[in-house]
Amino acid sequence: MSSPAVPEWTGVALSVSLVGLAVLIAWRQRLGLAREIVIAGVRAGIQLFLVGAVLLFLFKHAGLPGGFAWLAVMVVIAGQVAGRRGKGLRHSRYVATAAVAIAAAVTMGVLMAFGVIQTTPRVVVPVGGMVVSGSMAATGVTLSRMMAEARGQRAAIEARLSLGLSAAAAFAPHRRELLRTALIPTLDSTKVVGLISLPGAMTGLILAGVSPEVAIRYQIVVMYMLLAAAVMAALAAAELGQRMLFTPAQQLR
Amino acid sequence: MSRFDLREVCVRRDGHLIIDRVTATIAPGRCTALVGPSGAGKTTLLRLFNRLDDPSTGTVLLDGAPLETLDVLALRRRVGLVGQRPVLVTASVREELRVGAPQLTDGEALGLLKRVGLPEEFHERPTEGLSGGEGQRVCLARTLAVGPEVLLLDEPTSALDPEAAAAVEDTLCGLMGGGLTAILVSHSAAQVQRMADDALVLRKGQLVENGPVAEVRYVNGGG
Ligand SMILES: Nc1ncnc2c1ncn2[C@@H]1O[C@H](COP(=O)(O)OP(=O)(O)OP(=O)(O)O)[C@@H](O)[C@H]1O
Ligand SMILES: [Mg+2]
Repeated sequence: MSSPAVPEWTGVALSVSLVGLAVLIAWRQRLGLAREIVIAGVRAGIQLFLVGAVLLFLFKHAGLPGGFAWLAVMVVIAGQVAGRRGKGLRHSRYVATAAVAIAAAVTMGVLMAFGVIQTTPRVVVPVGGMVVSGSMAATGVTLSRMMAEARGQRAAIEARLSLGLSAAAAFAPHRRELLRTALIPTLDSTKVVGLISLPGAMTGLILAGVSPEVAIRYQIVVMYMLLAAAVMAALAAAELGQRMLFTPAQQLR
Repeated sequence: MSRFDLREVCVRRDGHLIIDRVTATIAPGRCTALVGPSGAGKTTLLRLFNRLDDPSTGTVLLDGAPLETLDVLALRRRVGLVGQRPVLVTASVREELRVGAPQLTDGEALGLLKRVGLPEEFHERPTEGLSGGEGQRVCLARTLAVGPEVLLLDEPTSALDPEAAAAVEDTLCGLMGGGLTAILVSHSAAQVQRMADDALVLRKGQLVENGPVAEVRYVNGGG
Protein backbone atom coordinates (compact mmCIF):
# COMPACT_ATOMS: atom_id res chain seq x y z
CA MET A 1 0.00 0.00 0.00
CA SER A 2 2.24 2.81 -1.20
CA SER A 3 -0.69 5.09 -1.72
CA PRO A 4 0.14 8.70 -2.55
CA ALA A 5 -2.56 9.77 -0.04
CA VAL A 6 -0.32 8.81 2.89
CA PRO A 7 1.84 11.75 3.99
CA GLU A 8 5.64 11.51 3.71
CA TRP A 9 7.80 12.53 6.70
CA THR A 10 8.32 15.89 4.98
CA GLY A 11 4.55 16.27 5.00
CA VAL A 12 4.47 15.49 8.69
CA ALA A 13 7.10 18.17 9.28
CA LEU A 14 5.06 20.65 7.29
CA SER A 15 1.92 19.86 9.36
CA VAL A 16 3.88 21.17 12.33
CA SER A 17 3.49 24.58 10.71
CA LEU A 18 -0.26 24.29 11.47
CA VAL A 19 0.55 24.01 15.14
CA GLY A 20 2.88 26.97 14.73
CA LEU A 21 0.01 28.95 13.25
CA ALA A 22 -2.28 28.00 16.15
CA VAL A 23 0.39 29.06 18.64
CA LEU A 24 0.92 32.35 16.82
CA ILE A 25 -2.79 33.14 16.90
CA ALA A 26 -3.09 32.16 20.55
CA TRP A 27 -0.13 34.35 21.40
CA ARG A 28 -1.34 37.38 19.42
CA GLN A 29 -4.80 37.11 20.98
CA ARG A 30 -3.29 36.74 24.46
CA LEU A 31 -5.35 33.61 25.09
CA GLY A 32 -2.77 32.31 27.51
CA LEU A 33 -2.92 29.03 25.62
CA ALA A 34 0.25 29.14 23.53
CA ARG A 35 2.27 27.21 26.07
CA GLU A 36 -0.39 24.54 26.45
CA ILE A 37 -0.78 24.11 22.71
CA VAL A 38 2.96 23.59 22.36
CA ILE A 39 2.99 21.07 25.20
CA ALA A 40 -0.06 19.19 23.87
CA GLY A 41 1.40 19.13 20.37
CA VAL A 42 4.82 17.92 21.48
CA ARG A 43 3.28 15.39 23.82
CA ALA A 44 0.97 13.92 21.17
CA GLY A 45 3.86 13.75 18.72
CA ILE A 46 6.11 11.92 21.16
CA GLN A 47 3.34 9.52 22.25
CA LEU A 48 2.47 8.59 18.67
CA PHE A 49 6.13 8.30 17.75
CA LEU A 50 6.74 5.90 20.62
CA VAL A 51 3.59 3.92 19.91
CA GLY A 52 4.64 3.65 16.28
CA ALA A 53 8.01 2.32 17.39
CA VAL A 54 6.38 -0.18 19.76
CA LEU A 55 3.99 -1.36 17.06
CA LEU A 56 6.81 -1.68 14.57
CA PHE A 57 8.69 -3.82 17.05
CA LEU A 58 5.60 -5.90 17.89
CA PHE A 59 4.70 -6.55 14.30
CA LYS A 60 8.23 -7.48 13.33
CA HIS A 61 9.57 -9.38 16.30
CA ALA A 62 7.11 -10.11 19.12
CA GLY A 63 4.48 -11.98 17.15
CA LEU A 64 1.04 -12.80 18.45
CA PRO A 65 2.01 -13.28 22.13
CA GLY A 66 3.54 -9.79 22.03
CA GLY A 67 0.31 -8.45 20.53
CA PHE A 68 -1.77 -9.96 23.30
CA ALA A 69 0.66 -8.74 25.93
CA TRP A 70 0.28 -5.20 24.57
CA LEU A 71 -3.51 -5.66 24.67
CA ALA A 72 -3.28 -6.74 28.31
CA VAL A 73 -1.31 -3.58 29.10
CA MET A 74 -4.03 -1.51 27.44
CA VAL A 75 -6.71 -3.28 29.52
CA VAL A 76 -4.84 -2.49 32.73
CA ILE A 77 -4.37 1.17 31.81
CA ALA A 78 -8.04 1.44 30.80
CA GLY A 79 -9.05 -0.16 34.08
CA GLN A 80 -7.11 2.44 36.05
CA VAL A 81 -8.66 5.30 34.11
CA ALA A 82 -12.25 4.00 34.25
CA GLY A 83 -11.84 2.91 37.88
CA ARG A 84 -11.18 6.49 38.87
CA ARG A 85 -14.75 7.31 37.78
CA GLY A 86 -16.08 5.05 40.50
CA LYS A 87 -14.67 7.15 43.29
CA GLY A 88 -15.83 5.80 46.64
CA LEU A 89 -16.54 2.31 45.35
CA ARG A 90 -14.44 -0.36 47.00
CA HIS A 91 -11.87 -1.88 44.66
CA SER A 92 -13.20 0.27 41.85
CA ARG A 93 -10.04 -0.19 39.79
CA TYR A 94 -10.23 -3.96 39.97
CA VAL A 95 -13.89 -3.82 39.06
CA ALA A 96 -13.16 -1.57 36.08
CA THR A 97 -10.21 -3.63 34.92
CA ALA A 98 -12.25 -6.82 35.12
CA ALA A 99 -15.16 -5.25 33.23
CA VAL A 100 -12.91 -4.00 30.43
CA ALA A 101 -11.09 -7.34 30.33
CA ILE A 102 -14.31 -9.33 30.08
CA ALA A 103 -15.73 -7.12 27.35
CA ALA A 104 -12.48 -7.15 25.38
CA ALA A 105 -11.94 -10.90 25.77
CA VAL A 106 -15.46 -11.82 24.67
CA THR A 107 -15.59 -9.37 21.76
CA MET A 108 -12.11 -10.17 20.45
CA GLY A 109 -12.66 -13.87 21.11
CA VAL A 110 -15.80 -13.95 18.97
CA LEU A 111 -14.23 -11.91 16.17
CA MET A 112 -11.18 -14.16 16.07
CA ALA A 113 -13.04 -17.44 16.58
CA PHE A 114 -15.26 -16.74 13.58
CA GLY A 115 -12.34 -15.47 11.55
CA VAL A 116 -13.93 -12.04 11.14
CA ILE A 117 -10.56 -10.47 11.82
CA GLN A 118 -7.12 -11.88 11.22
CA THR A 119 -5.33 -13.28 14.22
CA THR A 120 -2.13 -11.31 13.64
CA PRO A 121 -0.62 -8.57 15.77
CA ARG A 122 -1.10 -6.09 12.91
CA VAL A 123 -4.88 -6.54 13.30
CA VAL A 124 -5.29 -7.62 16.93
CA VAL A 125 -3.49 -4.61 18.39
CA PRO A 126 -5.38 -1.75 16.72
CA VAL A 127 -8.76 -3.49 16.75
CA GLY A 128 -8.22 -4.47 20.38
CA GLY A 129 -7.32 -0.86 21.10
CA MET A 130 -10.67 0.31 19.80
CA VAL A 131 -12.52 -2.34 21.81
CA VAL A 132 -10.62 -1.48 24.99
CA SER A 133 -11.19 2.24 24.60
CA GLY A 134 -14.92 1.77 23.94
CA SER A 135 -15.20 -0.55 26.94
CA MET A 136 -13.30 1.91 29.07
CA ALA A 137 -15.73 4.71 28.28
CA ALA A 138 -18.79 2.57 29.04
CA THR A 139 -17.24 1.25 32.25
CA GLY A 140 -16.33 4.73 33.45
CA VAL A 141 -19.82 6.10 32.94
CA THR A 142 -21.39 3.02 34.52
CA LEU A 143 -19.29 3.31 37.66
CA SER A 144 -19.76 7.04 38.03
CA ARG A 145 -23.54 6.72 37.58
CA MET A 146 -23.53 3.83 40.02
CA MET A 147 -21.92 5.91 42.75
CA ALA A 148 -24.27 8.80 42.04
CA GLU A 149 -27.29 6.47 42.41
CA ALA A 150 -25.92 4.82 45.53
CA ARG A 151 -25.35 8.20 47.17
CA GLY A 152 -28.42 10.04 45.93
CA GLN A 153 -30.89 7.17 46.30
CA ARG A 154 -29.63 5.79 49.56
CA ALA A 155 -32.96 6.30 51.31
CA ALA A 156 -34.92 4.46 48.60
CA ILE A 157 -32.44 1.58 48.49
CA GLU A 158 -32.49 1.18 52.26
CA ALA A 159 -36.29 1.40 52.27
CA ARG A 160 -36.41 -1.60 49.94
CA LEU A 161 -33.77 -3.47 51.96
CA SER A 162 -35.83 -2.82 55.09
CA LEU A 163 -38.78 -4.53 53.43
CA GLY A 164 -36.71 -7.69 53.12
CA LEU A 165 -35.56 -7.29 49.52
CA SER A 166 -32.15 -8.65 48.61
CA ALA A 167 -29.42 -6.19 47.67
CA ALA A 168 -29.80 -7.11 44.02
CA ALA A 169 -33.57 -6.59 44.11
CA ALA A 170 -33.27 -3.36 46.09
CA PHE A 171 -30.80 -1.96 43.56
CA ALA A 172 -32.51 -3.31 40.42
CA PRO A 173 -34.47 -0.15 39.48
CA HIS A 174 -31.34 1.96 39.90
CA ARG A 175 -29.25 -0.49 37.95
CA ARG A 176 -31.70 -0.33 35.06
CA GLU A 177 -31.59 3.45 35.15
CA LEU A 178 -27.81 3.73 35.29
CA LEU A 179 -27.26 1.19 32.52
CA ARG A 180 -29.60 3.13 30.26
CA THR A 181 -27.71 6.32 30.98
CA ALA A 182 -24.35 4.66 30.50
CA LEU A 183 -25.26 3.23 27.11
CA ILE A 184 -27.08 6.21 25.61
CA PRO A 185 -23.94 7.84 24.11
CA THR A 186 -22.92 4.57 22.44
CA LEU A 187 -26.42 3.95 21.13
CA ASP A 188 -26.75 7.49 19.82
CA SER A 189 -23.44 7.41 18.04
CA THR A 190 -24.35 4.04 16.54
CA LYS A 191 -27.62 5.50 15.24
CA VAL A 192 -26.05 8.40 13.40
CA VAL A 193 -22.91 6.68 12.21
CA GLY A 194 -22.05 7.75 8.68
CA LEU A 195 -24.64 10.52 8.76
CA ILE A 196 -22.95 12.92 11.13
CA SER A 197 -19.53 11.46 11.71
CA LEU A 198 -17.36 9.33 9.53
CA PRO A 199 -15.83 7.15 12.17
CA GLY A 200 -12.11 6.82 12.67
CA ALA A 201 -11.53 3.41 11.16
CA MET A 202 -13.37 4.30 7.98
CA THR A 203 -11.76 7.71 7.70
CA GLY A 204 -8.37 6.11 8.13
CA LEU A 205 -8.97 3.47 5.49
CA ILE A 206 -10.38 5.94 2.96
CA LEU A 207 -7.48 8.33 3.56
CA ALA A 208 -5.07 5.47 3.02
CA GLY A 209 -6.63 4.84 -0.38
CA VAL A 210 -8.89 1.85 0.32
CA SER A 211 -12.17 1.84 -1.57
CA PRO A 212 -15.21 3.04 0.39
CA GLU A 213 -16.92 -0.32 -0.13
CA VAL A 214 -14.14 -2.09 1.75
CA ALA A 215 -13.92 0.69 4.31
CA ILE A 216 -17.62 0.36 5.03
CA ARG A 217 -17.40 -3.37 5.59
CA TYR A 218 -14.67 -2.77 8.08
CA GLN A 219 -16.61 0.01 9.72
CA ILE A 220 -19.71 -2.12 10.15
CA VAL A 221 -17.69 -4.76 11.94
CA VAL A 222 -16.06 -2.10 14.10
CA MET A 223 -19.38 -0.49 14.96
CA TYR A 224 -21.06 -3.75 15.96
CA MET A 225 -18.03 -4.77 17.90
CA LEU A 226 -17.91 -1.47 19.77
CA LEU A 227 -21.61 -1.70 20.53
CA ALA A 228 -21.24 -5.23 21.89
CA ALA A 229 -18.14 -4.29 23.88
CA ALA A 230 -19.82 -1.25 25.43
CA VAL A 231 -22.90 -3.20 26.44
CA MET A 232 -20.85 -6.04 27.91
CA ALA A 233 -18.49 -3.69 29.73
CA ALA A 234 -21.40 -1.74 31.23
CA LEU A 235 -23.19 -4.92 32.31
CA ALA A 236 -20.03 -6.41 33.79
CA ALA A 237 -19.18 -3.17 35.60
CA ALA A 238 -22.71 -2.92 36.99
CA GLU A 239 -22.71 -6.54 38.10
CA LEU A 240 -19.28 -6.45 39.75
CA GLY A 241 -19.68 -2.91 41.07
CA GLN A 242 -22.97 -3.75 42.70
CA ARG A 243 -21.28 -6.49 44.69
CA MET A 244 -18.84 -3.93 46.07
CA LEU A 245 -21.69 -1.56 46.93
CA PHE A 246 -23.26 -4.00 49.39
CA THR A 247 -21.89 -6.16 52.18
CA PRO A 248 -22.52 -9.91 52.24
CA ALA A 249 -25.23 -9.10 54.82
CA GLN A 250 -27.08 -7.05 52.17
CA GLN A 251 -26.16 -3.71 53.70
CA LEU A 252 -25.49 -0.66 51.56
CA ARG A 253 -21.92 0.40 52.35
CA MET B 1 -41.48 -13.46 71.06
CA SER B 2 -39.05 -10.81 69.74
CA ARG B 3 -36.98 -9.80 72.70
CA PHE B 4 -33.85 -7.87 71.84
CA ASP B 5 -30.71 -7.87 73.93
CA LEU B 6 -27.86 -5.44 73.35
CA ARG B 7 -24.56 -6.63 74.77
CA GLU B 8 -21.70 -4.16 75.05
CA VAL B 9 -22.63 -2.69 71.69
CA CYS B 10 -20.22 -0.15 70.19
CA VAL B 11 -20.41 1.63 66.85
CA ARG B 12 -17.32 3.42 65.61
CA ARG B 13 -17.37 5.74 62.59
CA ASP B 14 -14.29 7.52 61.28
CA GLY B 15 -12.55 6.96 64.60
CA HIS B 16 -15.44 8.36 66.67
CA LEU B 17 -17.32 6.18 69.11
CA ILE B 18 -20.95 6.93 68.25
CA ILE B 19 -22.45 4.13 70.34
CA ASP B 20 -20.44 3.50 73.46
CA ARG B 21 -20.85 0.09 75.13
CA VAL B 22 -24.63 -0.06 75.31
CA THR B 23 -26.10 -3.02 77.18
CA ALA B 24 -29.89 -3.21 77.48
CA THR B 25 -32.95 -5.35 76.93
CA ILE B 26 -35.97 -4.46 74.81
CA ALA B 27 -39.01 -6.24 76.20
CA PRO B 28 -41.30 -8.04 73.77
CA GLY B 29 -44.87 -6.85 73.22
CA ARG B 30 -44.08 -3.38 74.55
CA CYS B 31 -43.19 -0.02 73.09
CA THR B 32 -39.72 1.12 74.05
CA ALA B 33 -38.78 4.73 73.41
CA LEU B 34 -35.25 5.66 72.41
CA VAL B 35 -34.68 9.25 73.48
CA GLY B 36 -31.83 11.69 73.93
CA PRO B 37 -30.48 14.92 72.50
CA SER B 38 -29.76 15.34 68.81
CA GLY B 39 -26.63 13.46 67.78
CA ALA B 40 -26.86 11.09 70.73
CA GLY B 41 -26.83 8.05 68.44
CA LYS B 42 -30.52 7.07 68.36
CA THR B 43 -30.75 6.51 64.62
CA THR B 44 -27.42 4.72 64.63
CA LEU B 45 -28.65 2.35 67.33
CA LEU B 46 -32.02 1.77 65.67
CA ARG B 47 -30.41 0.70 62.39
CA LEU B 48 -28.69 -2.17 64.20
CA PHE B 49 -31.97 -3.92 64.98
CA ASN B 50 -32.73 -4.84 61.37
CA ARG B 51 -29.08 -4.96 60.36
CA LEU B 52 -29.01 -1.97 58.07
CA ASP B 53 -25.72 -1.62 59.96
CA ASP B 54 -23.72 -3.90 62.23
CA PRO B 55 -22.09 -2.93 65.52
CA SER B 56 -18.32 -2.48 65.41
CA THR B 57 -18.06 -4.61 68.53
CA GLY B 58 -20.61 -6.25 70.80
CA THR B 59 -23.69 -8.24 69.92
CA VAL B 60 -27.37 -7.70 69.30
CA LEU B 61 -29.50 -10.76 70.08
CA LEU B 62 -33.05 -11.53 69.04
CA ASP B 63 -34.65 -14.10 71.34
CA GLY B 64 -31.17 -15.14 72.42
CA ALA B 65 -29.75 -15.57 68.91
CA PRO B 66 -27.05 -13.18 67.67
CA LEU B 67 -28.49 -11.31 64.67
CA GLU B 68 -25.64 -12.34 62.39
CA THR B 69 -26.61 -15.99 62.84
CA LEU B 70 -30.09 -15.28 61.43
CA ASP B 71 -30.95 -15.01 57.75
CA VAL B 72 -30.78 -11.26 57.20
CA LEU B 73 -33.67 -11.07 54.72
CA ALA B 74 -35.93 -13.06 57.04
CA LEU B 75 -34.82 -10.84 59.93
CA ARG B 76 -35.79 -7.70 58.03
CA ARG B 77 -39.21 -9.13 57.27
CA ARG B 78 -39.62 -9.83 60.95
CA VAL B 79 -38.33 -6.43 62.05
CA GLY B 80 -39.86 -3.62 59.98
CA LEU B 81 -38.48 -0.08 59.82
CA VAL B 82 -40.34 3.16 59.22
CA GLY B 83 -38.09 6.15 58.72
CA GLN B 84 -38.36 9.79 59.61
CA ARG B 85 -39.54 10.89 56.19
CA PRO B 86 -41.82 8.95 53.89
CA VAL B 87 -39.64 7.51 51.12
CA LEU B 88 -41.94 6.12 48.45
CA VAL B 89 -40.14 3.98 45.91
CA THR B 90 -42.81 3.25 43.29
CA ALA B 91 -45.33 5.24 41.24
CA SER B 92 -48.57 4.10 42.87
CA VAL B 93 -49.91 3.15 46.29
CA ARG B 94 -50.96 -0.21 44.81
CA GLU B 95 -47.34 -1.03 43.88
CA GLU B 96 -45.95 0.53 47.02
CA LEU B 97 -47.89 -1.84 49.26
CA ARG B 98 -46.51 -4.77 47.26
CA VAL B 99 -42.80 -3.92 47.28
CA GLY B 100 -42.14 -6.30 50.16
CA ALA B 101 -45.28 -8.41 49.65
CA PRO B 102 -45.77 -9.15 45.95
CA GLN B 103 -48.56 -11.65 46.66
CA LEU B 104 -50.74 -9.17 48.53
CA THR B 105 -54.38 -9.44 47.43
CA ASP B 106 -56.55 -6.38 46.88
CA GLY B 107 -58.62 -7.35 49.89
CA GLU B 108 -55.53 -7.48 52.11
CA ALA B 109 -54.30 -4.18 50.69
CA LEU B 110 -57.58 -2.45 51.52
CA GLY B 111 -57.42 -3.95 55.01
CA LEU B 112 -53.97 -2.46 55.50
CA LEU B 113 -55.08 0.97 54.33
CA LYS B 114 -57.89 0.81 56.84
CA ARG B 115 -55.47 -0.19 59.59
CA VAL B 116 -53.34 2.90 58.94
CA GLY B 117 -56.38 5.14 58.69
CA LEU B 118 -56.49 5.80 54.95
CA PRO B 119 -59.68 5.53 52.89
CA GLU B 120 -59.94 2.72 50.33
CA GLU B 121 -59.66 5.07 47.34
CA PHE B 122 -55.99 5.52 48.16
CA HIS B 123 -55.28 2.09 46.76
CA GLU B 124 -55.56 3.52 43.24
CA ARG B 125 -53.72 6.78 43.94
CA PRO B 126 -50.33 7.67 42.47
CA THR B 127 -47.67 8.14 45.14
CA GLU B 128 -46.84 11.54 43.72
CA GLY B 129 -48.97 14.17 45.36
CA LEU B 130 -49.56 12.36 48.63
CA SER B 131 -49.22 14.65 51.63
CA GLY B 132 -46.48 13.95 54.17
CA GLY B 133 -48.90 12.35 56.60
CA GLU B 134 -50.53 10.22 53.91
CA GLY B 135 -47.13 9.18 52.60
CA GLN B 136 -45.99 8.21 56.07
CA ARG B 137 -49.10 6.08 56.55
CA VAL B 138 -48.53 4.40 53.18
CA CYS B 139 -44.97 3.62 54.34
CA LEU B 140 -46.37 2.14 57.51
CA ALA B 141 -48.90 0.06 55.57
CA ARG B 142 -46.14 -1.10 53.21
CA THR B 143 -44.13 -2.28 56.22
CA LEU B 144 -47.14 -3.96 57.82
CA ALA B 145 -47.85 -5.78 54.55
CA VAL B 146 -44.75 -7.86 55.17
CA GLY B 147 -46.15 -8.96 58.53
CA PRO B 148 -43.45 -7.84 60.99
CA GLU B 149 -43.38 -8.73 64.68
CA VAL B 150 -41.33 -5.68 65.54
CA LEU B 151 -41.63 -2.11 64.30
CA LEU B 152 -38.67 0.25 64.34
CA LEU B 153 -39.92 3.83 64.20
CA ASP B 154 -37.42 6.64 63.65
CA GLU B 155 -39.22 9.86 64.54
CA PRO B 156 -42.21 8.74 62.51
CA THR B 157 -44.11 12.01 62.99
CA SER B 158 -41.34 14.61 63.14
CA ALA B 159 -41.63 15.60 59.46
CA LEU B 160 -45.41 16.05 59.72
CA ASP B 161 -47.62 18.96 60.69
CA PRO B 162 -49.38 18.55 64.06
CA GLU B 163 -52.63 17.29 62.55
CA ALA B 164 -50.98 14.63 60.38
CA ALA B 165 -48.67 13.74 63.26
CA ALA B 166 -51.65 13.14 65.53
CA ALA B 167 -53.29 10.92 62.91
CA VAL B 168 -50.15 8.82 62.41
CA GLU B 169 -49.67 8.58 66.15
CA ASP B 170 -53.24 7.34 66.60
CA THR B 171 -52.60 4.72 63.95
CA LEU B 172 -49.44 3.61 65.73
CA CYS B 173 -51.12 3.46 69.14
CA GLY B 174 -53.77 1.24 67.61
CA LEU B 175 -51.09 -1.09 66.29
CA MET B 176 -49.30 -1.24 69.66
CA GLY B 177 -52.51 -2.54 71.18
CA GLY B 178 -52.28 -5.48 68.79
CA GLY B 179 -49.26 -7.03 70.51
CA LEU B 180 -46.59 -5.62 68.24
CA THR B 181 -43.18 -4.89 69.73
CA ALA B 182 -42.03 -1.36 68.92
CA ILE B 183 -38.88 0.69 69.28
CA LEU B 184 -39.69 4.36 68.90
CA VAL B 185 -37.19 7.15 68.44
CA SER B 186 -38.82 10.39 69.45
CA HIS B 187 -37.90 13.95 70.36
CA SER B 188 -41.21 14.64 71.98
CA ALA B 189 -41.56 13.82 75.67
CA ALA B 190 -45.34 14.09 75.28
CA GLN B 191 -45.35 11.55 72.47
CA VAL B 192 -43.17 9.20 74.48
CA GLN B 193 -45.53 9.47 77.44
CA ARG B 194 -48.52 8.77 75.21
CA MET B 195 -47.04 5.88 73.30
CA ALA B 196 -44.17 4.17 75.10
CA ASP B 197 -44.02 1.78 78.03
CA ASP B 198 -40.26 1.89 78.58
CA ALA B 199 -37.55 4.38 77.70
CA LEU B 200 -33.82 4.20 77.00
CA VAL B 201 -31.97 7.49 77.23
CA LEU B 202 -28.83 7.94 75.15
CA ARG B 203 -26.33 10.73 75.58
CA LYS B 204 -23.20 10.95 73.46
CA GLY B 205 -23.64 7.31 72.55
CA GLN B 206 -23.91 6.12 76.14
CA LEU B 207 -26.97 4.66 77.81
CA VAL B 208 -27.62 7.00 80.73
CA GLU B 209 -31.13 5.99 81.83
CA ASN B 210 -33.29 2.94 81.31
CA GLY B 211 -36.68 1.97 82.76
CA PRO B 212 -40.44 2.40 82.63
CA VAL B 213 -41.40 5.76 81.10
CA ALA B 214 -42.93 7.03 84.33
CA GLU B 215 -39.61 6.61 86.12
CA VAL B 216 -37.27 8.04 83.50
CA ARG B 217 -36.31 11.58 84.46
CA TYR B 218 -35.29 12.68 80.93
CA VAL B 219 -38.87 12.14 79.72
CA ASN B 220 -40.46 13.70 82.79
CA GLY B 221 -38.66 17.02 82.64
CA GLY B 222 -35.75 16.00 84.87
CA GLY B 223 -33.24 16.25 81.95
N1 LIG C 1 -20.52 8.09 59.00
C1 LIG C 1 -20.36 8.86 60.07
N2 LIG C 1 -19.15 9.39 60.32
C2 LIG C 1 -18.94 10.17 61.40
N3 LIG C 1 -19.89 10.50 62.26
C3 LIG C 1 -21.12 10.01 62.08
C4 LIG C 1 -21.42 9.17 60.97
N4 LIG C 1 -22.73 8.85 61.05
C5 LIG C 1 -23.21 9.45 62.14
N5 LIG C 1 -22.27 10.17 62.76
C6 LIG C 1 -22.39 10.95 63.99
O1 LIG C 1 -22.90 10.11 65.00
C7 LIG C 1 -23.69 10.82 65.90
C8 LIG C 1 -24.99 10.10 66.11
O2 LIG C 1 -25.77 10.18 64.95
P1 LIG C 1 -27.30 9.74 64.95
O3 LIG C 1 -27.84 10.03 63.60
O4 LIG C 1 -27.41 8.34 65.42
O5 LIG C 1 -27.93 10.71 66.02
P2 LIG C 1 -29.44 10.86 66.48
O6 LIG C 1 -29.45 10.62 67.94
O7 LIG C 1 -30.32 10.03 65.63
O8 LIG C 1 -29.67 12.40 66.21
P3 LIG C 1 -31.00 13.14 65.73
O9 LIG C 1 -31.86 13.23 66.93
O10 LIG C 1 -30.52 14.49 65.32
O11 LIG C 1 -31.61 12.35 64.62
C9 LIG C 1 -23.85 12.22 65.30
O12 LIG C 1 -22.99 13.07 66.00
C10 LIG C 1 -23.40 12.05 63.87
O13 LIG C 1 -22.81 13.23 63.40
MG1 LIG D 1 -31.82 10.46 64.14
